[in-house]
Amino acid sequence: MFGYIRPEAGELKVKEFGRFRACYCGLCHELGRSYGFAARFILNYDFVFLAMLLWRGAPRYETRRCAVSPACGRCVCASSPALERCAGYSVILAYWKLCDSVADEGLFASLGARLKRFALLRPYRKAAARWPRFDEAVKSKLTELNGLEKTGETSLDRAADKFASLLSAAAEDEPSADAQRAEAQLLYHAGRIIYIADAYQDLGEDMKRGRYNPIASRFGLRAPELSAEERETVRLSLENSLGLMASAFELMPSNYWSGALRNIICVGMPGMCRQVLCGTFENRREGAPRLRGRISAQQIGDEE
Amino acid sequence: MNDPYTVLGVAPNASDDEVKKAYRELARKYHPDNYHDNPLADLAEAKMKEINEAYDEIVRTRSGGGGGSSYSSYTSSSSSRAGASSDPVFAQVRAAINAGDFARAEQLLGTSSSRNAEWNFLMGSVCYKKGWVDDARSYYQRAVSMDPGNGEYRQALSYLNMGGYPYRDSGYGPPDTGLDACDVCTSLMCANLLCRCR
Repeated sequence: MFGYIRPEAGELKVKEFGRFRACYCGLCHELGRSYGFAARFILNYDFVFLAMLLWRGAPRYETRRCAVSPACGRCVCASSPALERCAGYSVILAYWKLCDSVADEGLFASLGARLKRFALLRPYRKAAARWPRFDEAVKSKLTELNGLEKTGETSLDRAADKFASLLSAAAEDEPSADAQRAEAQLLYHAGRIIYIADAYQDLGEDMKRGRYNPIASRFGLRAPELSAEERETVRLSLENSLGLMASAFELMPSNYWSGALRNIICVGMPGMCRQVLCGTFENRREGAPRLRGRISAQQIGDEE
Repeated sequence: MNDPYTVLGVAPNASDDEVKKAYRELARKYHPDNYHDNPLADLAEAKMKEINEAYDEIVRTRSGGGGGSSYSSYTSSSSSRAGASSDPVFAQVRAAINAGDFARAEQLLGTSSSRNAEWNFLMGSVCYKKGWVDDARSYYQRAVSMDPGNGEYRQALSYLNMGGYPYRDSGYGPPDTGLDACDVCTSLMCANLLCRCR
């Protein structure tokens, strides 16, 4: 259920796009540095968003090479507290999601998940030791979510609440209580949107395999087809959460990444929701954000 | 108090019109109507107050001591639930909701024996405040169908159906109404074809 939080690249300034890509690459390098090569494969846009949200001050940039751009390297964000935190969080979340898939599927079907989990075991132990509070929150919320899935929870909100509160647990250590509240609300609704959009996206697949799907059980579906009225109901839930997310964002102190964050919240995510609802959203395997030509460190600009 | 120009995000040498425009923009963003039933309404109200004060301050210094002219109506519309409850438990629930104590409100509703229209409405209110829009809508719809004459219930349902905070009004147009690259290319190609016809 990753990769739903992304910017609308066409609406970003070139400068903001370059910064966003530098942050994406920075997170990838951070994962490699702290948790080893295998951990770099769990990189996704959602945690880039989180890193930008939790960032304090301005980033430092440096040029680094990697397997994707071996020749002259790329301008990436140097290690920072926000990147360290998000790298740890993404390892923890990925590990518990894999545990979930291992438990859900049969011995052979889960072989891939088992292997991946094994590869992430050491990184996970390291991350959990560093961020015990987030680890605890993820573990307890996913266990509760599992419980709801077993009983076939019919309330979409109740099921979404678990994943949403899991994500809002990432809001901590804000300088002021007000900012913390706003951030928690923003992340809560981001989590809700991801959960509902993912359920909508997986509806057909889940029903074919007889898995629990919150939207199917909300409407008591027999076939993976929603009536216009049911679709409207889902749209309304997404729309309200988008609004609550944006309203919380406006109350947070602005930071270095505000331009890209506003793009994600006000354009990227509404666009994603529309695409999911009309069935044109493709959760493709993401590479680094692409743009023709190179963006130099000067173009990223640090005058702000 | 912070520098009023910083609060409005304009330069100290900005023209009166620029200041007014910046003020209007911010006032629209943090207007209490946008934060109706939003758990962060108090933060928005504080922000609104700060903006009003900053604007008044600038107007006062520029006009050399004249009165301020911010929209005073913007500050004074904190919403309160004015519904009357015949049941004392429901009155307590309303008080708990207004105080932001949703756990207590839910607990009181859980122990209440009646499941009438007002119970459904209050359950809906608690859900709505928590951001559980789907459940809130079901409860509100039930409340309205049990007591169609009640304006409070109908108003809550219609507000919910409008979709809450207007996130689109933030400087960006919705992406799907803009021109995309293909549109531009096809129209240029058509234009090119026409130009070549002699």
